[in-house]
Amino acid sequence: MEGMLYNVNNGYIEGIVRGYRNSLLTSQAYSNLTQCETIDGVEERAIRHLNIALTAHRCQATARPSLRRLPGSPAPNPSTSALANKLTEKLVSEFRYLQANATGSLAKFMEYLTYGYMIDNVALLITGTLHERDTRELLERCHPLGWFETMPVLCVATNIEELYNSVLIETPLAPYFKGSLSHQDLDELNIEIVRNTLYKNYLEDFYNWVNTHPDVRGTPTAEVMSEVLEFEADRRSINITLNSFGTELSKADRKKLYPSFGRLHPEGTLMLSRADDVEGVRIAVEGVSDYKTFFDQTGLNQGGGSAVGNMSGGTGGEGKSLEDMFYQKECEISKLAFTRQFTHAVVYAWVKLREQEIRNITWIAECIAQNQKERIGNYISVF
Amino acid sequence: MSGAGAREAVFPTRQVLGQMKSKLKGAQTGHDLLKRKSEALTKRFREITRRIDEAKRKMGRVMQIAAFSLAEVTYAVGGGNILYQIQESAKQARFRVRTKQENVSGVFLPAFESFTTEGNNDFGLTGLGKGGQQVQRCRETYARAVETLVELASLQTAFVILDEVIKVVNRRVNAIEHVIIPKTENTIKYINSELDELDREEFYRLKKVSNKKERDAAAADVEREAQKKKDDSSDEDNVDEEGRMQTKDLLGDQDNEDVIF
Repeated sequence: MEGMLYNVNNGYIEGIVRGYRNSLLTSQAYSNLTQCETIDGVEERAIRHLNIALTAHRCQATARPSLRRLPGSPAPNPSTSALANKLTEKLVSEFRYLQANATGSLAKFMEYLTYGYMIDNVALLITGTLHERDTRELLERCHPLGWFETMPVLCVATNIEELYNSVLIETPLAPYFKGSLSHQDLDELNIEIVRNTLYKNYLEDFYNWVNTHPDVRGTPTAEVMSEVLEFEADRRSINITLNSFGTELSKADRKKLYPSFGRLHPEGTLMLSRADDVEGVRIAVEGVSDYKTFFDQTGLNQGGGSAVGNMSGGTGGEGKSLEDMFYQKECEISKLAFTRQFTHAVVYAWVKLREQEIRNITWIAECIAQNQKERIGNYISVF
Repeated sequence: MSGAGAREAVFPTRQVLGQMKSKLKGAQTGHDLLKRKSEALTKRFREITRRIDEAKRKMGRVMQIAAFSLAEVTYAVGGGNILYQIQESAKQARFRVRTKQENVSGVFLPAFESFTTEGNNDFGLTGLGKGGQQVQRCRETYARAVETLVELASLQTAFVILDEVIKVVNRRVNAIEHVIIPKTENTIKYINSELDELDREEFYRLKKVSNKKERDAAAADVEREAQKKKDDSSDEDNVDEEGRMQTKDLLGDQDNEDVIF
């Protein structure tokens, strides 16, 4: 049924997204990138590869040059962050294009996609307001995908109470604030907790939406998105647990940050909330074979937590870290989403893959800029 | 006047000579001491130079690792927002520096000592959702980098101060060696020559005096001889006289000799 009528409203978008997906860098392209000697080289090759990939989709050919360095840009050697900014800009413009063409449930779906970025932006603005910074300056730092109409209004607020009472309730994020946070909570100590609470509420809401909305319920979208969101929820739970070791975050507070769904829910999250160390986390996730494999591969059960993070820092260690594993898994799920037809999930998958691509290119550029070629192969490529 | 260089304007007296001699002695001792100090400082200076070299190389490596760990954070978090948040959430210095003084042959060198205040973990929760581990590790890496910088800073300060002090000491050594000592020596020479001159004059004068005295003495002798002779010749008269004395002219006019016919 949904296969028959999906294209009436959303066929164009899906087609475009699939086109975008084909323009993602392949491992071949990545290995070419790693051969570059300068950032300029990376840039040139990135443009070339992206252009080659894009020849089939002419609608993009005009947008890609935004990647190219701005004419008259003063820096002869472009910084990696400028490169990343350009790539993000590109992603945003494509996303905006899709959003402009989306209707009905897809439009709502895409709005949901932006909420995650909005949460980051709001957290940023709250931090700025708490320190009485010029909020206008902060707006420039906000992620463009998380831009919402009333966001500049946040600048008006000068103190937290005002921000909460008059401004935040106007934002799309208001439901996530409601009930779980009051303005007393918005003091600086727990801005990270605020952010994670919001994110938890957002994930739950999104999950709820894909499983209950009449247009989406029971479609491949619901299936794929449930899997993706469950994974996201689990990843957050595990990360929060791992990152909270050694901080003043109490177990009860930590428990509140776990989303109430996902493959780890409820037994796993309960065990996670009781975990005191990496070993405890490992035991908690043992019920889910995927995560168990991750832990086994990263060697966390022996390493005692020294290699938890990405790339295991400057301390060496060639094996992939847990966070790498999660990113890898996310990319694989996203890749698989493209095997389904007539689903909104491809948009989500595409955004995630593009983000990963941006991070990969930035990483490669960074490695080249800092002459650290030995770790250059640490990017994640699924195509 | 000794024409061989400057000398101090002093009166050439024995007292001043004594003063000058003790001054020369003092200058020589001071010269020796300063020379030794300069050598000690130079030795230290070389050591510091070597350590600066090492520290700079180390700093290069450490900073590279630190910059790379920042790149890791950016990779893990996937955005630049984290940097701003960390800036904002840092309220108190966790890594602090205190100075203490080190005494190297009388020169006070400030030495910076770094320490971390405990229990001051401002952004412990940053990156809770993702990337927290990287942020923490990046912070540790940078703490190590800053440690190296502090070490380097204290070495550089010592380097500058020592350089200055060594210059001053060397200037003093040279001044003593090439100005004060020759000057004092010249003065001593001058005083000596003046004193010798005085001595010679004195000697000549004494000689003159003694000559005169001798002559006078000789003259006196001759006179005495003559007197003696005269006395001898009038010895017989003396006997007479003695007899005559007993019969002294009561009138007292002895000069009026009796006219004996």
